Amino acid sequence: MFSLIQIEWLKIKKYPAFWAMLIIVLLTYPAANLMFYNVYLDITTQKGTQMLAKMFLGNPFAFPETWHTVAYISSFFVILPSILVIMLVTNEYQYKTQRQNVIDGWTRRQFMASKLIDVFIVSAITTLLYALVAIGFSIYADTFDATKMWEQSYYIGLFFLQTFAQLSIAFLLGYLIKKAFIALGIFLFYYLIVENIATGYIRMKAEKIGGDLGRYLPFEISDRMIVAPAFIGRFGKDIKTAYEKSLSEVPSQIALSLLLTTAIWVLCFFLHRKKDL
Amino acid sequence: MHPILTITGVSKNYGKLTALDAVSFEVPAGAVFGILGPNGSGKTTLLSIILDVLHADTGKFSWFGNSPQTNNRKQIGSLLETPNFYHYLSAVDNLKITQAISGRGGSTDIDEVLRIVKLDERKNSKFSSYSLGMKQRLAIGAALLGNPGVLVFDEPTNGLDPVGIAEIRELIKTLAASGKTIIMASHLLDEVEKVCTHVAILKKGNLLTAGPVDEVLAQEDIVEIAAANNDVLESTVQDMGGFTKVKKHDNCLQLFYPVGTAQLDGINKYCFDKGITLQQLQLKKKSLETKFFELTND
Repeated sequence: MFSLIQIEWLKIKKYPAFWAMLIIVLLTYPAANLMFYNVYLDITTQKGTQMLAKMFLGNPFAFPETWHTVAYISSFFVILPSILVIMLVTNEYQYKTQRQNVIDGWTRRQFMASKLIDVFIVSAITTLLYALVAIGFSIYADTFDATKMWEQSYYIGLFFLQTFAQLSIAFLLGYLIKKAFIALGIFLFYYLIVENIATGYIRMKAEKIGGDLGRYLPFEISDRMIVAPAFIGRFGKDIKTAYEKSLSEVPSQIALSLLLTTAIWVLCFFLHRKKDL
Repeated sequence: MHPILTITGVSKNYGKLTALDAVSFEVPAGAVFGILGPNGSGKTTLLSIILDVLHADTGKFSWFGNSPQTNNRKQIGSLLETPNFYHYLSAVDNLKITQAISGRGGSTDIDEVLRIVKLDERKNSKFSSYSLGMKQRLAIGAALLGNPGVLVFDEPTNGLDPVGIAEIRELIKTLAASGKTIIMASHLLDEVEKVCTHVAILKKGNLLTAGPVDEVLAQEDIVEIAAANNDVLESTVQDMGGFTKVKKHDNCLQLFYPVGTAQLDGINKYCFDKGITLQQLQLKKKSLETKFFELTND
């Protein structure tokens, strides 16, 4: 296992797109969170409503809420590491190194395990950047309170799982489609357009079809592990009930995410064992 | 002693197309084994199967007498079809990956193989900046990494200039002389004839023949004879008998005998007794090229 990690790191560390992704994420996460922080400042500094808003919202960028808020906002940008993951897998086809790695001595299972490690590494680095941004914001937005620092730190785990689950879908697309641009096109079209429209439509028809089945869509499954923070959530009139309902669904969304992600990787390992390279 | 490679009844179909049809042969230790065949004859498919890149539909193979699941490929240096490397990495970094996967060779081996394939001056350049010939050299270098006992080369001189081709031929001879087993697919019959001890000829997925080069080629003796008047010579030797056919070839006659039956002194004496002085008398081996065309032409 350690040898696989070492080999994958040899492949990744000199890949220019990896560093480009890292830099873009490093710029995007703070910038996006800063934008929402300004929204929060606007709400809480408006005359008349400021005390009420502050009482209701608390400071979403201070410990411990920063873990939740920054996780939610940053998770919109899973598209960045997804592009990298798709490139990493389609490169292996383009360079025919998926054959060469096996010719050189890997089993097909080891090759697929190495790709699983790639997705794990990218997810871990993305999570690390999120954690740094979350800590940075709490220091920037509030006085640093170490006693509350780890209260909601389970969001680090949730963010990692969400990133890993969604990058696994990106990997599956790259693995099946093999061509970088086609895989990227389909991924972006589905992630940005199809699923958003489908989610909205299903929500609209929820009563007719017996509930909000949108939560079973591939990205929604893991998206709903991190619910929208109260100050940006669109929970309708009954904010408190809707927010609590979303929170109550989190454990089942976690289970579904684990199930879908496991199914994706079982499928990939199975296909790679069977097919000609 | 186990053969290095045993292939038993290997077949592979792509839909209705039969790429390999029940191919069986053995590669003995220390052999330089040439696999020949026209384009589309199944050479690369066969090499892909024995390197676990393709699955055979039926049949099996074994390296070193082991099952395919063991770490056989780590003991084999291989170049299959095209040089496959990470384009954004240098030669050294690419070979580090080959080394880490195969476990072949130590830290000084990378420099050593790059020196052998004459890429040491460009060892830190990205693979994408290499010419076709340089890429091919790097692939050969990767196969040589860690000095494996068995080498599999699929068209090893592809993309090389004439000097490069000669160098690789010499390299293969040197490797063969050091006792390595080399399995090589090639179109270049002259090259195979010069370096191979064994040969297998494929056509449309069927194995036409396989065995030591001498046995494959020597299915008949050809004696070339010439005199001042070859027409008189031809009518004279018709009565001599012993050969299966006679054929005019350039400025001589070719007499075809069953293997081992041609007696040069007897032919010479017969002609001399009939008043003909031979200007040429030579036992010829059939060239691999002749044999190849004979077998593969419809």
